[in-house]
Amino acid sequence: MIAQKPTTPARSGESFARSSSKTYTLVEIVRGAPPQMIDHGPEDTVFAFPVVALVELLLALGVTVVLLLMSLTMNAPLEEIANPNQTTDPAKAPWYFMGLQELLEHGHPTLMAVIIPTILVLFVLAIPYIDNEREGAGRWFTSARGKRITALTALYTLIVMPAFILVDNFFPPRELLRGIVPDLVAQGLIPAAVLAVIVLLPLFVLRRYRPTNREVMLVLFTLLFVSAIVFTVTGFLFRGPGFKLYLPWKMPGGYNPFLNL
Amino acid sequence: MRAKSLFDVITHSRVWRSFFRHGWPDNPLDRSLVMTTNIFFHLHPVKVSRRSLRWQYSLGLGLLAVILFLELTVTGVLLMFYYVPTVERAYTYIITLQTAVPFGQLLRNMHRWGAHLMVLVVVLHMARVFYTGAYKPPREFNWVVGVVLLVLTLGASFTGYLLPWDQLAFWAITVGTSVAGYAPVAGPTIKTFLLGGPEVGQESLTRFYALHIMVIPAAILLLTSLHIWRVRKDGGLAANEVKEP
Repeated sequence: MIAQKPTTPARSGESFARSSSKTYTLVEIVRGAPPQMIDHGPEDTVFAFPVVALVELLLALGVTVVLLLMSLTMNAPLEEIANPNQTTDPAKAPWYFMGLQELLEHGHPTLMAVIIPTILVLFVLAIPYIDNEREGAGRWFTSARGKRITALTALYTLIVMPAFILVDNFFPPRELLRGIVPDLVAQGLIPAAVLAVIVLLPLFVLRRYRPTNREVMLVLFTLLFVSAIVFTVTGFLFRGPGFKLYLPWKMPGGYNPFLNL
Repeated sequence: MRAKSLFDVITHSRVWRSFFRHGWPDNPLDRSLVMTTNIFFHLHPVKVSRRSLRWQYSLGLGLLAVILFLELTVTGVLLMFYYVPTVERAYTYIITLQTAVPFGQLLRNMHRWGAHLMVLVVVLHMARVFYTGAYKPPREFNWVVGVVLLVLTLGASFTGYLLPWDQLAFWAITVGTSVAGYAPVAGPTIKTFLLGGPEVGQESLTRFYALHIMVIPAAILLLTSLHIWRVRKDGGLAANEVKEP
């Protein structure tokens, strides 16, 4: 190994003394491999050109074909000219914000539109700083156990979140407890407590199995990701006129959310 | 002696050589130089591991997002040739585009469906990166950049949603921005800043247009370059972290 920089000035009488007639010199012998090479296995690489360039070209052509086919078969929606005096029913945000709009139906706006989204964004940003072990990267779900944890969490969320939406819709605390407890409790503390229990329950179960940080993150992110899907689909597909819940095939007035994409 | 083919004459000419400072890339040296001397290729590494090329690993979602962004840029610029962001004229220009401009409806369809696809692809890309643990050190910062890019993608789609100025656009933006108004203290200020007034009107259309065609795409372009460059600097895809036995 030829090191880049001498750590000590060369002395005369050394086995590898510097020579003024040479532009290169051996300055130090380092035992073992340099740290950045220790982890490297046998090289299994290919030149990025032309392989990667071709993959990119083919994907670009594929995307263009798919986009063209979609655009030839479906027209982008266009309704009447905007009229601030005539509200549409239902009035919905674009589909990717429907999860947020659905969340708003289940509690106080400050909780649902501000506190929870802020917590979620901060959590997502913090993921790599909480789970900061280098181990376990580069493999889907990291391990067989991680895969099982993810699948069980997804299943749990798919049952609990629709149940939360349905129960809250048919037995809304803000209606049932009107006049009994203040609005802050009925619309703020109760939904916050219920959601906290829903999130903490699987973590409590997992604690018995001594999870790694990565496995805790798998549970929390899966809860977030699957909940986002459940709330988005509910808001987009199951909310009809008056923003009330309907089965998609029994929408009054033939309302079709796909015509408003 | 064999006569030089036309191909050789062209690729060895001074003009060609002034464009490309490397020979035909059929050997390791020139294949390296392609990547390091070309501004479009230099975001790539010279060599990539076979593991990171497996489609089952990355599903190609990051690449798809970049491709969709580029196609949205092209269709978006073409749409700009016909669009005027005023309350009186925006809607009629969309009608004109769809009925009187050759391929106008197709162009608008491609931009609309492309935008929805891009949001979907970016969300899926984030899920892929999470589930493969690709946010782990040393890639923490790139995860943060990715989250910002997701927010920018949503912003790009949301600001574009208002531009047709039909009922769908007007009420979706009214509902969407009313959420911002719920934030304590700063809420109403943020909402007024976005809309340029108490409700959706000409000021909102002007601001959303400026954000949609200039501010957000420029930010996405800059951060995507940083994002891809960091992938290379952090050791390529996280698939490279796995040591084969």
